[in-house]
Amino acid sequence: MVRFRKFVEVAILLFLVLLPLGSDRLFSDFYIALFLRIFIFGILILGFDLLSGYCGLVSFGHAMFFGTGAYVAAIAWKYLNNCVWLGILLGLGLNTIIGYVLALLCVRTRTIYFVFLTFAFSQFFFVTANSWRLIGGADGIAGIPSPTLIPGISLGSRTGFYYFSLAFLVIAYWVARRIVNSHFGRVLEGIRENEERAKFLGYNTSLMIRRVFLISGLFGSLAGALMTGFQPFVSPYYYHWSLSGEFVIMEILGGMGTLVGPLMGTAIVIFMGDILSTWFKEAWMLCLGAIYVICILYSPEGITGIIKNISETGGLMKLLNRLRTN
Amino acid sequence: MILVPLSPLIPQDIVMTFSMIMTNLLYGVTIGSTYALIASGLSIIFGVMGVLNFAHGSFVMLGAYTGFTIVKLTGNFWVSLFLAPLIIAMLGGIIERFMVCRLYGRHVLLTLFLTFGLSMVFSSAVLLIWGGVPYSIQVPYYFKGFINLFGIYYPKFRLFVLVFSCLLVTFLWIFLNRSRWGLVIRAGLFDIETVEAFGVDIYRVFRLLFIFCSGIAAVAGVIIGAMRSINPVMDVDFITVALIVIVIGGLGSFKGALIGSLILGLGEAFGAQAIPGLAKFVTWVIMAAVLLLRPEGLFSEE
Repeated sequence: MVRFRKFVEVAILLFLVLLPLGSDRLFSDFYIALFLRIFIFGILILGFDLLSGYCGLVSFGHAMFFGTGAYVAAIAWKYLNNCVWLGILLGLGLNTIIGYVLALLCVRTRTIYFVFLTFAFSQFFFVTANSWRLIGGADGIAGIPSPTLIPGISLGSRTGFYYFSLAFLVIAYWVARRIVNSHFGRVLEGIRENEERAKFLGYNTSLMIRRVFLISGLFGSLAGALMTGFQPFVSPYYYHWSLSGEFVIMEILGGMGTLVGPLMGTAIVIFMGDILSTWFKEAWMLCLGAIYVICILYSPEGITGIIKNISETGGLMKLLNRLRTN
Repeated sequence: MILVPLSPLIPQDIVMTFSMIMTNLLYGVTIGSTYALIASGLSIIFGVMGVLNFAHGSFVMLGAYTGFTIVKLTGNFWVSLFLAPLIIAMLGGIIERFMVCRLYGRHVLLTLFLTFGLSMVFSSAVLLIWGGVPYSIQVPYYFKGFINLFGIYYPKFRLFVLVFSCLLVTFLWIFLNRSRWGLVIRAGLFDIETVEAFGVDIYRVFRLLFIFCSGIAAVAGVIIGAMRSINPVMDVDFITVALIVIVIGGLGSFKGALIGSLILGLGEAFGAQAIPGLAKFVTWVIMAAVLLLRPEGLFSEE
């Protein structure tokens, strides 16, 4: 199973590396932008999955890290220096502080109260960004220069930024996979299944939760900075709860606690958003919502749950047979 | 959406006259009583069924839009105040029968995810059917204008809203505390398994409760739609208000929901005048503080 997964991972990576070669010849540049969006949100979703999928604490305010990363990068690139690392590192720095403090507070609550608390904190950020004139208020910040990799080499071209983001996605995936396979990752799953028991085994569960909260926030921060590099403007929408809700949808459609699943969920939501909005015009949100509702009702484990079901029953035909005999 | 800068936090005209204070007080109680209609339903559903209904705000919105359409068709406000909640209660029943009831006994977050998806579906459906233009429900002619209450000029319709929702809340209170059904619900708030052991069909209770609370939310939607305006984002406004209220009051507590609604209504009435930019900020700070210091709510009965 692991070998098969490695094979699929390499195949997908190869496909993604070769994809820009076909741009403009086989398909329009638009699809590169679509994939870029998937990479950026994918990075965030990987972190989100560590917190909500593996540790079982669903955050309804993850946009606060995303927004902070985006705003810090925007301010750094516009007013200080348009070196890409400056924006990313400053964002990570500020989000480390924010994540550390919020983790101290949020770790006191669980399940539904954790949802409320993260929601309240993210609204806090949204109201601040929306009303603070210094960072643009409701208008946000526009006219952000395209960042440079090192002084002299611009990341302004779409292909350049595509590879830059892809590199980060690969690193993020590798880091997340390492975390999941580590002792720490196992303890997180233990906390999700039964926190009392993990405590009795001698683990400091509150410290573990704080750590994973901070880590997942840093993933979000990185994604935010890349988003600013991709779209040269930021707005308070980046802090909005509906964005946090979208993350939850991506996570659930893909399948919580699998890393690959949420990435698939991200790709599905973004692609479906594109396809549905051309087919159904304004009704696409309705279709996405309906698909999401059906997914929760019939397969709460998401796409990965369906795939696992099929592979465990030994192929589609056997599954159909079993359904017929039952 | 707040478009006010944070810098001029203290406006010059902070000194209020007595009549202004009284008007704000009255308005705060009016708003609070409508919030109580919404939040108490959400709170009871959570307490008894263990379902956090994120679509509760959508029921308010759908009630308002349905009421608007009925008034437009029939021209009678009372018909819509009666019919719209009936329709929305039916919708609530369908949702409970085919969706929510599949998730009983599962993780509480699963129902939150489900109802979140439903609220998304409803808000885009509303946008498709009625468009994004804000409307207002036409009130009968005898509710237009102002009334003189001991020297304060107060809109007649708001007074009606105040009286009507207070009556409804009182009715709910009596229903919960004096009737047989209320007894079952109150017992369910403490221990649903024991209630089942006494031979009560709890799934029937769940369904009726869900239907009933959806209807009450729709009633609130109609009167709010006539008092303020109807727009496609009001579902979010009201679900956040209701969530804050029940967090302050304690999940599953009727009394807590009432007190929380009053606090929020008064805070809104006074806060909007004294500190426009900061009012929403303060609400979120209060919610976070309550969650951190007393997660079970300020007025929790347990």
